[in-house]
Amino acid sequence: MNSLRLKNVILLTVDTLRKDVLGCYNPESKLTPFIDSLQDRCIKFTNMQAIGPYTQASFPGILTSSYYFDWGRHKKCPPQRILISEVLKKGGITTAGIHSNPYISEFFGWNRGWDFFYDSMEEEVTDEVPYIKGDKINKKVDEWLSSHIKGKDYGRFFLWMHYMDVHEPYVPERRYVEMVDPSIKLSSNEMFNLFKNVILKRDVSDKEKVELLKKLYFAHVREIDEYVQDFFSILKRYDLLENSTVIITSDHGDEFGEHGGLSHDGKFYSELINVPFLIYNPGEDEGKVCDKLVSNIDIPPTILHIFGLEQFKGFKGHSLLPLENYPEKGCFGEAIDKRSAHEKETDKPTYYYQEEKLKIIYRESTDTWEMYDLRDDPRELNNIVNISTGAESMKQILKPRIGRWLKDK
Amino acid sequence: MGEYKVSEEKAREIEEKIKRSKEVIREAFQKFKPSECAITWTGGKDSTTNLWLIRQVCIEDNIDLPHVITIDEGDAFPEITDFLIKISKKWNIDLKWLCNFDVLRACQSKLGGTVKVKDLNERNRAELKRIGFEEESFTFEAESYAGNHLMKTVVLNQFIEENNIKALFMAVRWDEHPARKNDKYFTEKEAGDLQPAHTRIAPILHFTERDIWDNTHLHNLPYCPLYEIGYRSLGVRSTTNPMQVGVPAWNQDLENTVERMGRRQDKEKAMERLRKLGYM
Repeated sequence: MNSLRLKNVILLTVDTLRKDVLGCYNPESKLTPFIDSLQDRCIKFTNMQAIGPYTQASFPGILTSSYYFDWGRHKKCPPQRILISEVLKKGGITTAGIHSNPYISEFFGWNRGWDFFYDSMEEEVTDEVPYIKGDKINKKVDEWLSSHIKGKDYGRFFLWMHYMDVHEPYVPERRYVEMVDPSIKLSSNEMFNLFKNVILKRDVSDKEKVELLKKLYFAHVREIDEYVQDFFSILKRYDLLENSTVIITSDHGDEFGEHGGLSHDGKFYSELINVPFLIYNPGEDEGKVCDKLVSNIDIPPTILHIFGLEQFKGFKGHSLLPLENYPEKGCFGEAIDKRSAHEKETDKPTYYYQEEKLKIIYRESTDTWEMYDLRDDPRELNNIVNISTGAESMKQILKPRIGRWLKDK
Repeated sequence: MGEYKVSEEKAREIEEKIKRSKEVIREAFQKFKPSECAITWTGGKDSTTNLWLIRQVCIEDNIDLPHVITIDEGDAFPEITDFLIKISKKWNIDLKWLCNFDVLRACQSKLGGTVKVKDLNERNRAELKRIGFEEESFTFEAESYAGNHLMKTVVLNQFIEENNIKALFMAVRWDEHPARKNDKYFTEKEAGDLQPAHTRIAPILHFTERDIWDNTHLHNLPYCPLYEIGYRSLGVRSTTNPMQVGVPAWNQDLENTVERMGRRQDKEKAMERLRKLGYM
């Protein structure tokens, strides 16, 4: 326990990263040799569910251990949400957040509690790459680490960093495309047009185009693996590899026509919410695989546990560590049921609840239920809500959450 | 500004910077007629310095002062409005107030009020269509993407078009934030979906925040009293806060703190990013 308490914690999140593109989850994928090489030193969770299928709906779990609609339907992070950075700062931990996603930027209120916060919103970006790339994020991290670690007596720190590079538009550099499929000869312009004409229109009618887009996405995954590798060499350079815990996950996945859409809209199927989750934790449970059903709402309590700090009452999740103490519980999630890039005020919420291998989904817009048994229907194509004997009890668990913030008033 | 002190060496440095700014302004007047230019003036310290410099050149060279414009977003500090009126009189400036009154009318000038798109005039409705805004209403507030477009971009574009403006004098500075560090004195803006073609001229690019206060002191320039009570950078009322309450801007740690911390300037940037990521 003592060795554990001396650790720093690094939370490395990758936007839009599907679980099945990582070789450590899907041996057929050869896109992530570096991340795969870490798995022997990690605890690998195979059943991590995000509480939402896109950034605004998922990050409340990752950084605040609360659900998207807990205080109503807000675009900005409401003041009632307490960020892990705020709790840690009070606990004497230095905190830094470095990323490039507008939805979790200062403007949306996500800058609270950070001793250092960089959201890149002041930087100029292009249409093809509308974010700061992973190499620059690494550079910022490097700069921050070098300013924080002066001499041996630096305080323990929590660093959260977030890569955007697998988020659309998919306009990868030539060399990454070569690594995935050298026969693809698209120019940047042609790739960008696929974004405008296919992804933005959510047009899945042309299967070849969807497959092509998936390959371009893969090229970005290949790129991310290099950034993670570079980041680990930065950690090594600062002698931080043995005294830091690195949590690697994503906020949500991405859809390539599995359920009739593209990108990441308001749906709760596995390609969007079953995310990768690795805890690189040298000396503790190395190489273990955890198949328990867990939620990304459990991340902040886990971070407090690693720092040896008292649990914060406002957090709704449960620490994932120690593994044996994690209770079996169901997972919830909620989002706006949108089917396009643009969320309208009139779009209604949708909710899910999962218990073991059963998932139930409710859509307010159509007042309909769906239920899937992931054991024999992992692709979630066979709605069993009308034939399953368990449906009624699952509905009863989910129902109190529907529009609950309106009832409180 | 009380006991404010500027060393002789620093004063010489400021004079050099003024010289450089005047060169930029004179170059601009070789390229554009004064009637084709407009000076943006918010009432803040930078744009007041900028206006003062251009006015100096016009007096020295006997040139007409270009149009001077200010954009009223419907959420201005009364202190800034008073300052603009007072200094316009003092400097004999025919200040043009640009305001999208149609939007204000639609929400009874109430911040946080609802603007129904159907209540807007044809031009505003067309503008909303142009930025892909499809909803029936929006809230009149600084966060509103639609409101921001109508209150700022549209009125400026309309002024540029109606007055055949070819160049805009702006008061941006290199040290405002890192993203500005590669800015140039003259930037040509191509005609695009959201703006008519024009040139942007930035005569005070090389001034630092400290230089602005040094110069304000040295040449006894007027400034808005909000700076005396702790504001460092002024925007609209609902999104601007003082940095250090009660400490005049010039007595704050200008070198080691972020000038725009008290402002939420990131609104448009965040919205623009979301649009590029495919969310708008």
